[in-house]
Amino acid sequence: MTPDTLPPPDASDAGDRPRPDIDPLDERAAVDPALFEQPADASPFARAVLTTPLHLAVAAESRLNRWTAWNGFTVAALLTGFDDEYRALRGAAALTDISPLTKYRIAGRDAGAFLDRLVTARVAPLAVDRAMHVLFCEENGLLLGDGLLFRLADDEYRLVTEETHLAWLMDSAIGLRVRVEDVGDTLAAMSLQGPLAAACLSAAGLAGIENLPPMAGRWTAMAGMPLYVSRTGIGGDLGYELWVDPEEAPHVWRHLMQAGAPLGLRAAGMVLRELARLEAGLSRAGRDWLGAFAAIDPAHALTPFEYGAERQVDFGKPLFNGRAALLGRAGQTPPRRLVGLAVEGLEPARFAAVMAGGHPVGIATTTGFSPAWGCNIALATVETAALSAALSVDAEIRDGLTLRRLALPARLLAEPVWAPARRHAVPAPLKT
Amino acid sequence: MAWGGRKYDAIVIGGSHNGLAAAAGLARASQRVLLLEAGPQLGGTGVTAAVGPEYPEYNVPSVAHLLEALPRRIERDLKLARHGLRLAARNIPTVMLDRDGRHLVLPRNRKDLAALAEVNRKDAAAWPDFDSRIGRAAAMLAPLLFDAAPRRTLLRRLVWRAEWHGPDSLGRLMQLLPQSVGDLLDAEFELPLLKGALALDAVLGTSDGPYAPGTAFRLLHRRAMRGLGRGPSIPLGGPGALTDALAAAVAAQRGEIRTGTRVVRLLLEGNAVAGVETDDGNAIIAPLVVSALDPRTTMFDLLGTAHLETGFVRRLPPARPQGNVGKLNLALDGLPEFPGLAAALHGARLLLAPSLEAVEHAAVEAARGGIAGDPVMEITMPGTVDPALCPAGHHVMSVLLPFTPYAVEGGWASRRDELMQRALRMLDQYAPGLSGRLIAAELLTPPDIETQFGASGGNWYRGSLAPAAIHEARTAGQAAPVAGLWLCGPGTHPGDGVTGLPGYALAETIAAERRRQ
Repeated sequence: MTPDTLPPPDASDAGDRPRPDIDPLDERAAVDPALFEQPADASPFARAVLTTPLHLAVAAESRLNRWTAWNGFTVAALLTGFDDEYRALRGAAALTDISPLTKYRIAGRDAGAFLDRLVTARVAPLAVDRAMHVLFCEENGLLLGDGLLFRLADDEYRLVTEETHLAWLMDSAIGLRVRVEDVGDTLAAMSLQGPLAAACLSAAGLAGIENLPPMAGRWTAMAGMPLYVSRTGIGGDLGYELWVDPEEAPHVWRHLMQAGAPLGLRAAGMVLRELARLEAGLSRAGRDWLGAFAAIDPAHALTPFEYGAERQVDFGKPLFNGRAALLGRAGQTPPRRLVGLAVEGLEPARFAAVMAGGHPVGIATTTGFSPAWGCNIALATVETAALSAALSVDAEIRDGLTLRRLALPARLLAEPVWAPARRHAVPAPLKT
Repeated sequence: MAWGGRKYDAIVIGGSHNGLAAAAGLARASQRVLLLEAGPQLGGTGVTAAVGPEYPEYNVPSVAHLLEALPRRIERDLKLARHGLRLAARNIPTVMLDRDGRHLVLPRNRKDLAALAEVNRKDAAAWPDFDSRIGRAAAMLAPLLFDAAPRRTLLRRLVWRAEWHGPDSLGRLMQLLPQSVGDLLDAEFELPLLKGALALDAVLGTSDGPYAPGTAFRLLHRRAMRGLGRGPSIPLGGPGALTDALAAAVAAQRGEIRTGTRVVRLLLEGNAVAGVETDDGNAIIAPLVVSALDPRTTMFDLLGTAHLETGFVRRLPPARPQGNVGKLNLALDGLPEFPGLAAALHGARLLLAPSLEAVEHAAVEAARGGIAGDPVMEITMPGTVDPALCPAGHHVMSVLLPFTPYAVEGGWASRRDELMQRALRMLDQYAPGLSGRLIAAELLTPPDIETQFGASGGNWYRGSLAPAAIHEARTAGQAAPVAGLWLCGPGTHPGDGVTGLPGYALAETIAAERRRQ
């Protein structure tokens, strides 16, 4: 008997009957949250498809049903359409679920010493309720990862990274009175980016938010729900990130979407997040470069010098991971550099190889068409020696089913495509 | 501030055999050496002491009872004989005890082989070939295992040496290295007694049973280690005599030894060692510090994580596995009678392991945190060759109890007597009437050995010697990230055992480096 000819399941089996309270034809019907709940007896690794605490709230905004994976979580790729979301991001404000980021809580008497040994920069001057961008290397001076480090209290920090680093952090904690834990499951996060971000938060009830300086954070409450708000983000513009309890995150999301709707606030997905960081000239671990342990070919990992972060390496510290190796390379010109490229041409193109004089000299790792500049831009790792030469990229442009291969001239971007002065302004502008 | 106005060229931390050998070696190379030991006595687990405080006239090797592989090089260079080291018996035979009195000697000559042939002709025929194969393989490995410093070229040199030994030897060695000793013996021999004894020889001191992969390598390692010295020997006055001789060798070269002085911290000057700080608050200055402590203890407790990169911490050998050998010391009012055992063999190394299955069973029980019903043992009666240990006519017996778990189910407080009773019952079966002769008995479990003799984890016998844990995988003496700090404790190349070799080899390496500068 083939499955087609199987008798219909026993009608008395209550589990298979359509549930009376869900009308399949009503598109506005509430989705049963139980669909996304993990059974209590399931092992934490048994579930292959993870959803963020904001999944249902984000799904309610989706008109395109385009999803993608980020750190194993299902996140929206596009919600209402690229143009719509881009206009909101650069003209008003866009709200994105960034819960899949990896978050570590680092606390204990030796937390400061632990971090000073872990990262290349000096952590001690970081004040409470401030954040800094940090890089951390293995012993050969190759980057393992980067992240945003928040100081929440005198000896409590939060490290937010793109990839997971728990084993390295735990090994670094041996012999120190410090506790390292992955708090990803207990902390939802959303990112509000755009020129009207402060206005949206203000409309949602966060009074005085415009006085929060860049790379600072504070505890506050929205509609009675406590949350930590920080003026951080990867949009290259005014922007905030909200760190919330997972239970309350959907309510914060809906409250903020309602309050911001008159100002043009839109939910945005991963596609816009990638384009925003590309326009802001920010690289992403695992995409533009690989962590030293993930890179099978060491050439795929970068040193902080190749990354372009000489100023973040503080040799004044007596010891940090990779110090000896980096000290050996300090005076030299790094063999490669992570640079921004602008590629001529008025239509979106796909490209990877960066050429100079007919030879490959680098690889573009993130590419995108910037509506702001009306041209293709990219982040690329290029040989330093070739940077002064005339660069081009081998591009593919599709017209329907035809494919054109072109060598498009490329030039180095001296500064990010999107970097308005308001991103540093205090108080932050409340209207455009 | 120098101690007593003296300045030192080198400080050695830890008065174990390795620390003493390192101190003696450095002093011999005309360095002014200070050795600091935290405990009241030197020697670590190599001490001779009374069976119990109430029986001061019955002296017994407290923990280690044989010098299995004291390298001739150390004996000669440090003039240990002149400093009082005498061997009561050297290269003693190994006897496989049989319950029915048909004891066999692990064959070393024609006579032993003939005795084996009487019991099992096939095994006797297979023995000479097996023995020479193991011997050749051990000889091939020995220079690589006991080189002064680990090198990255171990495997390449192994291939060259094997080629030199003959076309098939590399293949045979590659077959042997990852094999289990149980499989190896099952394929060669029939006699359970022979297989049990050889298997116990290989796995004694580890938590692996004879069928664990890599245990055949231990047979080779042990054979190679014995090849360094003059075979298993009993020193006159027990293993404490070796400690005394090494201490005398240090003193003869004007080295200083301080016991009861714990080092709490290493002093640094920039990225180099400047001296040590002791628990009485003194700072002792020396440009060279050699630590005979466990590498993790040295790095984390004395140096501090703040001076170590995470990558280095990751490469440190893992925390030492917990000890797996207990010790039973007995004082007897006469010589125990093993029926059928020739009088000349009373001073031998007696192995009580009736079969491979008995060894495997003990290993499995220990892995579960239990005590085997019929424990396997290695026994010596040092009183037979060294009468000064106990009153005339009386005897002491020193029994190793392999597969005594560190953490026993139910706790040692409630199960000490059980282990003691089982061991005595087993001994009674082989030497009837032994428990009737008992004057005093002392049982040391691995936790006891840890607290009384300072062997971390109670792991005093040999570390986890597996092909994956030797040579490059061990911390080299000079691998410390701070200039002037050297390691020579257990867990450093070339490995454990009462050899003093890590310490002495390190002293030689340092001296060679000095000459080069």
